[in-house]
Amino acid sequence: MAQNKTSTGKRPKLAAVVTSIRLYSHPQHIVDRFLDGYGWNGTFHHPQMDLVGLYVDQRGEGDLTQELIDRHPGLKVYPSIAEAVTLGTSKLAVDGVVVVGEHGRYPQTAMGQAMQPHFRFFESIVDVFRSSNRSVPYFNDKQLSSWSFPQSKQMFDTSRQMGFPLQGGSSLAVTWRIPSVEFPTGATVKEALCVAYGGVDSYDFHALETIQCMVERRKGGETGVEWLQAYQGESFWKAYEQGVWPHSLVKAALSRSSTLMPASRIFTDVYPSVKQMRQLVPDPTAYRYQYRDGMLATMLLMNGLVRDFTFAAQIEGRSQPFSTQMHLPMPDGRTSLASFFSPLVHNAEKMFLTGKAQYPIARTLLTSGLVIAGVESIYQGLRRLETPQLAVTYQPSPESTFWRS
Amino acid sequence: MITRRRFLEYSALSSALLVSRPLLRSGFALPPAESAEAPLRLAIIGSVYHLGSDMQFIADRFLVGYPLNGDWHMPNVQVVSVYVDSLVPKFGGPLAWGWRQEGFHSARHAQGKSGAPSGTSTQVLEPGPPHPPIAHSVRQRRGARSLGEELPENISLDTDLSRARSKEFGFRLCRNIPEALRAGGEKLAVDAVITVVEQGDYPTNDRGQNLLPSYDFFQQCVQVFQEEGRGIPYFNSKQLSFSFPEAKQMVETAERLHFPLLAGSSYPVTWRLPDVDIPLGAHVEEAVIVGVGKFDGRDFDALEAMQCMLERRKGGETGVKAVQLLEGDDVWQAGRDGRYSRELLSSALSRSDTPLGLTLLDGRNQDLVASGALPQLVKDPAAYCIEYTDGTKATLLMLNGAIMDFNISARVTGKGMVSTQFYLPPTPNVTNTACLASKIEQTFTTGKTPYPVERTLLTSGILEACLDSRHRLNQRLETPHLAVKYQPPREPQYVRT
Repeated sequence: MAQNKTSTGKRPKLAAVVTSIRLYSHPQHIVDRFLDGYGWNGTFHHPQMDLVGLYVDQRGEGDLTQELIDRHPGLKVYPSIAEAVTLGTSKLAVDGVVVVGEHGRYPQTAMGQAMQPHFRFFESIVDVFRSSNRSVPYFNDKQLSSWSFPQSKQMFDTSRQMGFPLQGGSSLAVTWRIPSVEFPTGATVKEALCVAYGGVDSYDFHALETIQCMVERRKGGETGVEWLQAYQGESFWKAYEQGVWPHSLVKAALSRSSTLMPASRIFTDVYPSVKQMRQLVPDPTAYRYQYRDGMLATMLLMNGLVRDFTFAAQIEGRSQPFSTQMHLPMPDGRTSLASFFSPLVHNAEKMFLTGKAQYPIARTLLTSGLVIAGVESIYQGLRRLETPQLAVTYQPSPESTFWRS
Repeated sequence: MITRRRFLEYSALSSALLVSRPLLRSGFALPPAESAEAPLRLAIIGSVYHLGSDMQFIADRFLVGYPLNGDWHMPNVQVVSVYVDSLVPKFGGPLAWGWRQEGFHSARHAQGKSGAPSGTSTQVLEPGPPHPPIAHSVRQRRGARSLGEELPENISLDTDLSRARSKEFGFRLCRNIPEALRAGGEKLAVDAVITVVEQGDYPTNDRGQNLLPSYDFFQQCVQVFQEEGRGIPYFNSKQLSFSFPEAKQMVETAERLHFPLLAGSSYPVTWRLPDVDIPLGAHVEEAVIVGVGKFDGRDFDALEAMQCMLERRKGGETGVKAVQLLEGDDVWQAGRDGRYSRELLSSALSRSDTPLGLTLLDGRNQDLVASGALPQLVKDPAAYCIEYTDGTKATLLMLNGAIMDFNISARVTGKGMVSTQFYLPPTPNVTNTACLASKIEQTFTTGKTPYPVERTLLTSGILEACLDSRHRLNQRLETPHLAVKYQPPREPQYVRT
């Protein structure tokens, strides 16, 4: 049912459904790029589409919605999701929807997960698709559901059943890589690892997508995940010292970092010992998980040691680990723009123009499920969890979709 | 303090020695390759060894290793000796005590005797008087503020680290450059030299040039090479000299004495976003590079970053025929007059991750050219306009207040615009210096420079000529002396793996 408006020569119309628009919130980064344009391919690019309808779930202090409307008279804010996507009529009136369920203030589950409204937004929008007997490409920033795998699965299944492209996930999968390398398609992989920073039920998702966007290109494609176990505190360091995850991959990943904290403050770039890492990282987290084809993966959150995302993998036939950094120009003092949203938006534009998802949403289904499993493992006292629900199989997009031009 | 006078005197001295002691050509061949196990012995000489100084960033790489090709690389080197210029007591006269070291032409320097300690001691240098803080601009450009956070109580950004490093790594802290090269003995005792001179408390002349003693350091090393009858690989950080004739002499000396001379900034070898270069042999019509800083060394970095791309154009490098440095409203007028392409300017700015102004307010993206915001944001613009001999033109725009990174766009006939950001990784790591360290190490281990020193020679000359233009009320200056010709390396030499 998806429509390709480029064939008709018309500029697609979009509606955005977002949590809250504040400085450096995901909605601000994404909505602004559709409206103001952004640097792309060495020019200042203006998307060939018009964002005309907007629903903002939470306003209040720091809200930039009014300022956005003042700047863009073609944009109208609607009081409900249905009105935003119908532009105040009774039928779906846009050619694509941009959904940002990140940020805002939402209740927490008993396990401490933020109950982000991805699924609620999805249901409201799909209701309009159904009543209008028409559906359009759907961009969903970050996870499918942040706290319920059945919800994520339902979003995934619905898009399949109704036949509309659904695309999203983390910007980590599409941002610059340093070096600018793609994971070799069809490679046999034993182990993969990501060293990252940030919190549980937060940046762990980005770290998991970092791993997933690479290893999905391995021999046979994606097979899904069999089990997951979290490590924190002393159990983390014990596992580290016992070599539960390969030190060679940690070293390869950290050698790609641009933000390796020196253990001694009178140095600026020095490789730490495990003892020094202990001093630098008071609260580490690891998710270790095994894929159904036997491959093992480890995600490390090491706040205090790094402030970037690096990836390393052992590939059969290579003596050295394959490694790179997923580079986030981060407006935390390092930059003023979060330019990693540009490739995310650019891939969304391509979907809106072609009616085709640029990379598989099954990736995000799997990583959404992995985050939930990780949080659950922590909640259950770092227990190893079998994950039969994560038998998600898919093939990667043949084309690379990360930022390299 | 190394003064211009001392500088010239030494220059004359070394010329005299060249005449009086002709060298055996064969004596200047590289020393025979050592066994795989023997580490390469290094002398590192520089201005200051503070946290966040150029010397600290480079020297530490050879002490504690650095990230390279996805591994933590430990170079097979032994830092044998270090000379830190700021630790040497200065007496205000043209000659510091170090010059009379080891019976080395002491008779010629009798005038510098007053107050000088004995020059024959081989003891490790004792702590000298407190050193004045380095220039604010230098600290700022390294993001030193963030480095300074959480420093131990007894350490500040102005604390000399060379003494602590000497204790930790066992190298000799030397009173002067000849001592560093001879490691306290009679003979040349190192296999290679790294020189890192940076802006700090050296004097500035009326043209705004910081009189960095790079040439002076080089000549002192060459003096030792000559006495020994052999030269060793030499790295000179950033510009060769503030004076083109001196820079040229350095290149000629290295050629004549057959030792590899590598020089320049880390910007030409750092990561690029995206990973692109000018196709070798392409016809380049024009290039615009944007950056920040002004007459503080970063203009050199930016000019050399541009040069390393433009040298790949059709015919290779042929030199520069004229330059002009514009300031103030003339910069914007030059854009309106087509002196530089506003399309290339917009393209270069589209690669920036650091637009200021409204972006700081609400995070929005901005086309700073189309919006007309540039003149509002940049109160003190500068345009370094360069006319190459073959007709290619290039402009460095320093846009303080508009952005905080370095980006280039070039128009290549038949290919459109080629644009990229020279990525400068943040503090504390500043890993662009690791990229440079790998090129230094490559030069030392192979005896071959990965890219020609003529790149740095020409860039040194371009910068000097631009500052001359400024001094002459921003006149356009013909630069026949900058007819520097060379061919680029076939393969790009910036880091890609």
